[in-house]
Amino acid sequence: MRDIPRFAAILMLVAALAAGSLAWVNEITKPLINEQEKGELEIAKHEVLPNAKTFNEVKSEGEILLYQGFSDNGKLIGYVFQAEGDGYAGTIKTIVGIDTLFIIQAIKILSQQETPGLGTQCEEIRSGEETPWWCRQFSGKNAKNIQVIKDGGQIEAITGATITSRAITNAIAEKAVLLQNFLKQ
Amino acid sequence: MNLGQEFIKGIYKENPVFRLMLGLCPVLAVSSTVENALYMGAAVIFVLFCSNLLVSLIRSLIPAKIRIPVFIIIIATFVTIIDLLMHGFAPDQHKSLGLFIPLIVVNCIILGRAEAFASRNNPLYSIVDALGMGIGFTLSLTIIATFREILGKGTWKGLSVFGSGFKPAALMILAPGAFITIGLIIGFLNWLDHKKSSQTANT
Repeated sequence: MRDIPRFAAILMLVAALAAGSLAWVNEITKPLINEQEKGELEIAKHEVLPNAKTFNEVKSEGEILLYQGFSDNGKLIGYVFQAEGDGYAGTIKTIVGIDTLFIIQAIKILSQQETPGLGTQCEEIRSGEETPWWCRQFSGKNAKNIQVIKDGGQIEAITGATITSRAITNAIAEKAVLLQNFLKQ
Repeated sequence: MNLGQEFIKGIYKENPVFRLMLGLCPVLAVSSTVENALYMGAAVIFVLFCSNLLVSLIRSLIPAKIRIPVFIIIIATFVTIIDLLMHGFAPDQHKSLGLFIPLIVVNCIILGRAEAFASRNNPLYSIVDALGMGIGFTLSLTIIATFREILGKGTWKGLSVFGSGFKPAALMILAPGAFITIGLIIGFLNWLDHKKSSQTANT
């Protein structure tokens, strides 16, 4: 029993050293990881709105709300926005390309930590294909009123991963409605 | 105890996957392609090396009663460090190993060697044990992955082995294929051992 303060002190020291080294490595790798995410975002923007040649940030209160997409002759052809939703195990980040009537051109999952084999099917690419099969059904639908079939909509949820499917779908719909109100001003 | 033996034991006699049967969860999960196996193996060698070395260096300072939490803090920290380093410097490999890097923390090989060896032996022997076990792990993982990738995808490390006419058995890429492969290999090694011992018994 008299050992408890000594044990506590040793554990505290070990934990402090661990935390310190983690903080140091985190600082070193942070800029590299940020660069990668920026690069992936650039590629993703072009993937979800393929006809756009340039993008323009639209901010509100210091945060980027959406990107305007312009064709090569300067015409506004649509928007790209990011949506976040709470999945089964963490936040799922999606990027969506829509035309000026809010019809989805394509979506891309940027990050997720869902259950392997179940929720991760949202990003799964079948052999011989190039894009995730589950994401393709979003193209052509109005971003503001997409819902999974169980909730009365047209999006087929992934079997065994309703929460994942709902999270992605609802996050996109909510953000789309928000953006439409913003753009109307 | 000599250095050579401590190193070699991890490769065959006390192979962590086929003999000690440690860390089977990540082994089954990551052995679907040779490339994944090699990267996972490299990560495990690194973590094992650092963890065994550190645990051995401070073994006289850690009271026995709190050794397990201390080992776990050390292992989890090294794994997080390698996760961050991979994310920063090898993003493509980090993407494909994604979920499995944190799984190294619960890979019993690391904790097992810290407890069974590094906490009771000097740093030099501990390093050698780590390298032997790590290389043995990587070898086993690569052997399993070779079977699974060739039969399940028709490729080895991404290079096509049979040409386009080959129809791969997708089962091999999935969990059942992993279990079947591991089971058959362990069975084969046991049979080899049995043959050897019955031969020496007969002479």
